Amino acid sequence: MTHQTHSYHMVNPSPWPLTGALSAFLMTSGLIMWFHFNSLILLALSLLTNTLTMYQWWRDIVRESTFQGHHTPTVQKGLRYGMILFILSEALFFMGFFWAFYHSSLAPTPELGGSWPPTGIHPLNPLEVPLLNTSVLLASGVSITWAHHSLMEGNRKHTLQALLITIMLGLYFTLLQASEYYETSFTISDGIYGSTFFVATGFHGLHVIIGSTFLIVCFMRQLTFHFTSNHHFGFEAAAWYWHFVDVVWLFLYISIYWWGS
Amino acid sequence: LLWTAQRTISTASRRQFENKVPEKQKLFQKGNGIPVHLKCGIADTLLYRAIMILTFGGTAYSIYQLAVASFPKKLD
Repeated sequence: MTHQTHSYHMVNPSPWPLTGALSAFLMTSGLIMWFHFNSLILLALSLLTNTLTMYQWWRDIVRESTFQGHHTPTVQKGLRYGMILFILSEALFFMGFFWAFYHSSLAPTPELGGSWPPTGIHPLNPLEVPLLNTSVLLASGVSITWAHHSLMEGNRKHTLQALLITIMLGLYFTLLQASEYYETSFTISDGIYGSTFFVATGFHGLHVIIGSTFLIVCFMRQLTFHFTSNHHFGFEAAAWYWHFVDVVWLFLYISIYWWGS
Repeated sequence: LLWTAQRTISTASRRQFENKVPEKQKLFQKGNGIPVHLKCGIADTLLYRAIMILTFGGTAYSIYQLAVASFPKKLD
């Protein structure tokens, strides 16, 4: 019987990178079929296969770590670097949209009426629902920190409660933002104001949904005793991602909602 | 390498969740040579086959649609 003499994880050969790549191909072809040929089947197939890939890939990671013990401190260090680099790449992604917003809003063209907000655009009142949304996300940052400390102290009940509160706040934010989208007097096609507003806040909303899903997975794993008081990187990764989502919102609120009105 | 650790057990008298992690650890650490994505039996195999059929089938369909789109019908 052979045993490795290093602390790294030699992963079993896996089909999920291939299915993931194929689902991405189906997604791009699916978008073309939808845009140009009015057919949704490829796009629907791509969303299904993408979801299945993610489910099975991450399910396998849970098996490799919690059930097979492959996540040594060395492996965990690599995962930490990976998550940090990923979040950094997402920060740069959002910076692009903030660049677009400031490019257009700092020097509004004559076509916009030389002003920001452009002539005819009635922005949302930053002191109404957007301010509530800010407090909701800030509170969720507090509750997830409470959850983490409870987890580190071995308090199962408090960890579950605090995680649940965080998830509820995230869902509340999503619902509030959806209702705000319904209430706006402008749409995405209303010039550069509409484009920058909905693309920036829209991608942020998508990240809130992704983050909430990550937190729900953590909740289920905590329910089933996966996390220990000193080894719970999945939870930490979710918490980092959640804080990132919160920070992006603060920039959105200050730049687009407040200064931009 | 068995990686056992302390897991908090709740003493709350309400709905209890049993800690099934130790039995899962036993199942997934069996030295049967089965890769991790198939190690849980028939459900794994069915899901694997489903996604393979969907992705490869979808790719073939996508290439077929490309071929159809490459030769547009002449409009009279």
